[in-house]
Amino acid sequence: MTRVRPFGEAALLVDPLPGVEAQSLAASLRSEPPDGATGAVAGRASVLVEFDPLRTDADAVAAVIEERLGRPAALVPGRQRRIPVVYGGAMGPDLADVAEHCHLEAAEVIERHAGSELTVEFIGFAPGFPYLGALPEELRVPRLATPRTRTPAGSVALADGMSGIYPAELPGGWRVIGRTPVTLFDPHREPPAYLMPGDRVRFEPIDETAFARRAGAPADW
Amino acid sequence: MTIEVVEPGPLTTVQDAAGRPGWRHVGVPQGGAADPWAARLANRLVGNPDGAPLLEATMHAPTLRFGTPSAVALVGELDASVDGLPLTSGVAREVRAGALLRIGSGRDARGYLAVAGGLSVERVLGSASTDLRGGFGGVEGRALRAGDRLGVGTATGGRHRWLGQWPSGPIRIVAGPHADRLDPAELVAGAWRVGADADRTGARLDGPALSVQGPTEIASVGLPLGAIQVPPDGRPIVMLADRPVTGGYPVPAVVIGADIGRMARLRPGDPVAFASVSLEGARDALRRMNDELAALEALDAPGDDELGWAGSHG
Repeated sequence: MTRVRPFGEAALLVDPLPGVEAQSLAASLRSEPPDGATGAVAGRASVLVEFDPLRTDADAVAAVIEERLGRPAALVPGRQRRIPVVYGGAMGPDLADVAEHCHLEAAEVIERHAGSELTVEFIGFAPGFPYLGALPEELRVPRLATPRTRTPAGSVALADGMSGIYPAELPGGWRVIGRTPVTLFDPHREPPAYLMPGDRVRFEPIDETAFARRAGAPADW
Repeated sequence: MTIEVVEPGPLTTVQDAAGRPGWRHVGVPQGGAADPWAARLANRLVGNPDGAPLLEATMHAPTLRFGTPSAVALVGELDASVDGLPLTSGVAREVRAGALLRIGSGRDARGYLAVAGGLSVERVLGSASTDLRGGFGGVEGRALRAGDRLGVGTATGGRHRWLGQWPSGPIRIVAGPHADRLDPAELVAGAWRVGADADRTGARLDGPALSVQGPTEIASVGLPLGAIQVPPDGRPIVMLADRPVTGGYPVPAVVIGADIGRMARLRPGDPVAFASVSLEGARDALRRMNDELAALEALDAPGDDELGWAGSHG
């Protein structure tokens, strides 16, 4: 049962809420904000709604949230995106471990990953970092026991049934099976992120010689 | 008009009070001044709009040379001087062309220096704030270096002295959404110190290891400023300006908005005591902070002893 409750004196938390509905509610609250609201942030299964307590009160904001929850979730039409990726080798140091964990050959892991159409469920953790789901069950792997302090930019990784892509060099515990040469986040572009919630993503295997050629911002940004 | 960075200090960055709260849906942290109250106040003292870009200095801090005459204001307990004469926190000071402003260390971890007219810095994603992890905003997305030159805008407002004061006593918290898994009373009862690893992302606290009932992780939620996360190692973290957009650990309590600035000015090793307040108490505290920030006394034009460079006018 979805609740709306305080999260500090200047915010409300709406949870639990399925991911698609959370995205839809947050987008609605951003485009038509209640009086005094200052922000809406979707989590995996929740929405944080911030407001100025000196301009409005929690009850007034909650009433608007309740009304929006009653509206059907507006599914944002996603775009089709192809992400080129070099699998394995130095760019995919965890591919062998993932294959072993899943009782598959490395080639079978690649086949299942590249053969899936994944949806951007959520952007979080870092600017432009897409959480892509859902992977076939046979590719479910846990996070690394010891996260890397540096995961190279472009790393394509798996954890907990999802796939993710590191837009920049970051610490991280996801298992890296490949790397993409394309730019995913640029604060000077409009929009700054290439992938947005609702987009449908397919990974396209490429070989290392094509990597340099495909580097940079995708043509369909 | 430019300001030359003679000595940058360990971490001096361009920030603004609000950061960039409108890009969190693509994973960009809000950022901005770790103490938004002090940043707003420093700007008001030199007649700037609250949101003008300014400098955030950390621990011990920069030496700057001013190319042309201007006015500055420091907010924060850091030893500072202009041409060797002490610069007090909370009051605007005229600086002459060629003046050397030195900021050292003091009781506060952070201090804010505003210049009349605001710093001229390109806005990225709507803000002049520096996103250090992302490498954008402020000056090339990084801390200041020796030799950097900062442009300054046109001064518009007048100079002021602050007549208000910051709150004192324990840092006030309200119950968070996961107070059923960890009673906020445990935060109130514990003896805490700011950890050596505290930074703009969060103030990690040293003290008794807290244990959360039930699952140690949660489905990631958006994190408001001041949310106290408790990861599996039991060390609470008070989330500050550079916190990631979402977090996956339970939040038993939230530091109230009125006290987030005090929290951000605590130094590693400083003791921290918490006290629980109601949501209404938190709102009242917010109202009082806004009133305190409005307690300003206009200063006369140069000639006023407080503003003039005491002693020589050469």
